[in-house]
Amino acid sequence: MTNFPKAQIEDYGFKHRAYLKPLLKWAGIVFFVVMMLMLYLPIIIIAIQSVNSSVITTRFSSFTLKWYLNIFNERELLSAIKNTLTVSFIATTLATILGTFFAIGIFHLPKNKRSGLMFLNNMPILNPDIVTGFSLMIMFRFVMELINLIIRLFNPGASISIFGLPTLVLAHLFFTFPYVVLSVVPKLKELDANLVDAAADLGLKPMKALIYVVVPAIKAGIFSGMLLALTMSIDDFVISFFNTGAGFDNLSIWIYGVLGRRNLTPSVYAFSTLLTLVIMVGLIGSQFINKKGKTNK
Amino acid sequence: MNSTYAKLANPYRIWLYVLVFIPMIALVALGFTNLTSSISFNSLSFTLENFDMFGEKSILVGFRNSFTFASITTLVAFVIGYLTAYLVYRSNFNNKFGIMTLVILPMWSNLILRIDALANIMSENNILTSLIGFSPFSNINGTPLAVIIGMVFTYVPFMILPIYTALEKIDNSLIEASADLGKTPFQTFLHVVFPLSLKGVVTGSIMVFLPTFSGFAIPKILSKGRIVFIGNIIETKFNYTIFNDGALLASTILFLIFGAIVLLRRFDKEGETLL
Repeated sequence: MTNFPKAQIEDYGFKHRAYLKPLLKWAGIVFFVVMMLMLYLPIIIIAIQSVNSSVITTRFSSFTLKWYLNIFNERELLSAIKNTLTVSFIATTLATILGTFFAIGIFHLPKNKRSGLMFLNNMPILNPDIVTGFSLMIMFRFVMELINLIIRLFNPGASISIFGLPTLVLAHLFFTFPYVVLSVVPKLKELDANLVDAAADLGLKPMKALIYVVVPAIKAGIFSGMLLALTMSIDDFVISFFNTGAGFDNLSIWIYGVLGRRNLTPSVYAFSTLLTLVIMVGLIGSQFINKKGKTNK
Repeated sequence: MNSTYAKLANPYRIWLYVLVFIPMIALVALGFTNLTSSISFNSLSFTLENFDMFGEKSILVGFRNSFTFASITTLVAFVIGYLTAYLVYRSNFNNKFGIMTLVILPMWSNLILRIDALANIMSENNILTSLIGFSPFSNINGTPLAVIIGMVFTYVPFMILPIYTALEKIDNSLIEASADLGKTPFQTFLHVVFPLSLKGVVTGSIMVFLPTFSGFAIPKILSKGRIVFIGNIIETKFNYTIFNDGALLASTILFLIFGAIVLLRRFDKEGETLL
């Protein structure tokens, strides 16, 4: 037996880079923390501005909570908040309910028809907001002109404006439906197809089976669709900007209008901070409940 | 059975046809007319005069600015967004979903307000210098850098989410197989993980590129009106109710997105990875 030299893995070109591992790990952690800080920087600044007693946003004077109480005295701000919530509430509710049924319908279409409709469904998401907003505005104007033509047949000189709540809700519905459909369809794919058949065997009519069997089974998808729709609707600026009427400003439009002309009231920052806090508490709470539910099982 | 449910799609098909096609046709058509302030049928006539606009320097500069800034933003957002998504994907957090929620959470507060807050700390004397003595971005307000920083950190969550979703879908046994076949971790990433996440990258890039290309609020606030995007020009036309010019510019943007959609369709046949 000759003693052949034992081959080491290094001879095959392997390089020990284990010493790099902690370095990379720390670089990763630092990067991630900086990234998160950057994402949250504007929110932190808004929070600081909301407790700043000076109206001038460039100087911090002293800590105060008066802007939080002052929210209820700002009439313009209140009406902007009210408008935003009204539009979002109507649009989200309708989009969630109708969108769920539309998604079920789309899912049961033959494959070629389905992919065609899904393509159309994605159009509002893929279209730049400015194109959607501008084109809807033009269509609404045409429709308004037609309505006014008819009205003038009966009552010359009269005219109405549809811009405001109706156009805003329609526009918001237009871009929230796709999000609901996109969140519900994948859940339908996971659904056991026998479920509906079983319901039919047990004597449920198709539409009843839909409500009692299919909808409860996909409620996670419906919920995430609703959340997405609400997010998109509440924060929308561009599409609303083109489709709102005189005097019906939502929060984004109102802030954008004020920005160039005068100082924003710090109550806006207070409201925004409150909203962020409520959402954070809600999310943490829901996580907590989820965990509790899991441990109970 | 199936056909009963399939009927439910009919109202939506009509809704989409009405609100996707009719406004678009109206938009494109309006660009060829003389209708400006009031849209009425009495004095309608067709004209090609509006196309003279494309000879104007301001319009061309607007398109150029939009394109350059949107491309740079998409590139930067891709690099840092991919890194973030990859770090979360490789990390051993128990609650990765929670981390992703943290990434989306800033999007819940008002966009315009967030941009205004950024503009505030980008000016020379700002609330951070007055509070803690220094600010990372002081004195860049009004510069192209300010616009890019603002756009990147507004839209990077749209890049992180699809990439993360694509990464999570990768079968772990593929990575093990690649290691078994003698690839180093870096080669595995380059030849296995990255190609499989490309779908997410494409979706994310489109989701970042489109709003930055067509947006007008961020450049206006962060550049103090010095950098004019094509969106700003459309906004001005809208404010002065010059609807035909605005419609022509908007339909030009519309044709540009067809390229993006064709790209997305090549990677994603069903059209369902947007989320």
